[in-house]
Amino acid sequence: MYLYEPRSNYFYDEGKINVLNETQLWAILEGTIVTLEIALVAIVVGAVFGVIVALGRISKNKVANALSWFYIWFFRGTPLLLQLFIIYYAIPIIYLEATGTSFQVDAMFCAFIAFSLNSTAYLAEIIRAAIESIDSGQMEAAKALGMSYRQAMTRIIIPQTFKRLVAPMGNELILLLKDTSLVSTIALFDLLRTVKTMASASGSWIYYIYAAAIYLFLTTIIQVVFDKMEKKLGVYER
Amino acid sequence: MSMVKLVNVRKSFGNLEVLKGINLEIQSGEVVCIIGASGSGKSTMLRCLNHLERISTGEVYIQGELTDKREKNKDLMKIDPAKVQALCAELGMVFQNFNLFPHLTVIQNITVAPTIVKKVNKDVIEKTALVLLESVGLSEKRDEYPSRLSGGQQQRVAIARALAMEPKIMMFDEPTSALDPELVGEVLATMRHLAEEGMTMIIVTHEIGFAREVADRVIFMDEGVICEQGTPDEVLLNPKEERTKIFLNKIL
Ligand SMILES: Nc1ncnc2c1ncn2[C@@H]1O[C@H](COP(=O)(O)OP(=O)(O)OP(=O)(O)O)[C@@H](O)[C@H]1O
Ligand SMILES: [Mg+2]
Repeated sequence: MYLYEPRSNYFYDEGKINVLNETQLWAILEGTIVTLEIALVAIVVGAVFGVIVALGRISKNKVANALSWFYIWFFRGTPLLLQLFIIYYAIPIIYLEATGTSFQVDAMFCAFIAFSLNSTAYLAEIIRAAIESIDSGQMEAAKALGMSYRQAMTRIIIPQTFKRLVAPMGNELILLLKDTSLVSTIALFDLLRTVKTMASASGSWIYYIYAAAIYLFLTTIIQVVFDKMEKKLGVYER
Repeated sequence: MSMVKLVNVRKSFGNLEVLKGINLEIQSGEVVCIIGASGSGKSTMLRCLNHLERISTGEVYIQGELTDKREKNKDLMKIDPAKVQALCAELGMVFQNFNLFPHLTVIQNITVAPTIVKKVNKDVIEKTALVLLESVGLSEKRDEYPSRLSGGQQQRVAIARALAMEPKIMMFDEPTSALDPELVGEVLATMRHLAEEGMTMIIVTHEIGFAREVADRVIFMDEGVICEQGTPDEVLLNPKEERTKIFLNKIL
């Protein structure tokens, strides 16, 4: 279960405010996992669907083009928090009004959906720009060799975007990681909300430092891993 | 046997008419060199042959079979796309800027199209690729990435890559124009070798000496029309048209 259940007496640990007790440690760990899970699901799902939306944007098919334009327009043009509310609060109500039956929403599931939909829009634009940055001679050479548009895209064009995508993807993942704090509004305990609860209960600011340290630790790892990936994917560029 | 044929082909980009009624037929085994000033429509004509560009008006035939028939940018008849694709694949193309796939090694550049387009067995095509690399003198570069090769080497790989699809006709669009002078010779030697083997070739080039040596026919294009054509001696040494004379004087 993702729903965080406050454990007995975890706020008051008199005299030893600065040192985390075991319960607090677990709570922070769980919050960190919630944060990480949402960001990672969103970046992976966003990358996969982002390719599809990006291909729609550059396609000559008017319907595909309009649909993906609309998708990006909506999900980039409205706050992520609003999207989260629509999925978590509005849809169950709409469903109830339409069918007369209610259903149980899982907050974590809603967070996955909202963050994935949102990152799809951003990544689609990043991927589209990367595809368009590949020299048009590549598509021509592929076509002259008899490849179909689809074969040329999947075997020639898109693989060449990987290296160019790494840096903006890392950036997007870091943004997502920090944006996960929005899920505190839908009854989830992410890292930030967990420490905030501890801080206000104990009156100590030190918990914010712990949180900052964890965020920095995670974003540093992301940076290092993505830098390595960029180097590795760029081997062919001498 | 007729390998390619253009009948009254016109091509416009917006209001700019680039090809103004081209009639051309090339026979099997012929080596045709096309010369002409920048912007005269040489590249566009090649690109119309393999559907990289669609013609505005006219007819295109490959090996006697219709691949394009249009009027005012509209198809006059529906031609089976699979058939068109198969016929266009009979045309290999070599570009001025090589256009090798930078993320693939030399050998992968050569094998990728045959494996995914023709579904040739991987072992079989690798053997073929090695033979082709040998013939362009680059066996030892098989696992290099294109960025590590000189321009001349890249262009020879590009030729091998096109040949791996076993085309019946090879088109070259200014294959040596992007090369340093000292690298031009090795690419021309590869092309000369192909010509000697009897390949049908259409070559857009500014290398007049090379054209004289290998061409069966030289075509001079000017402002979207074929202005003059004939044997190399006729066109290059004793041009009849004033415009041909002016052009040759400029580049010689
Ligand atoms: N895709 C395009 N859109 C618009 N105009 C084009 C396009 N392709 C070519 N043109 C124009 O068509 C004309 C002929 O171009 P083309 O490339 O066929 O000339 P060329 O004879 O090959 O010249 P060069 O020797 O410079 O390669 C030029 O004026 C060019 O600007
Ligand atoms: Mg040209």
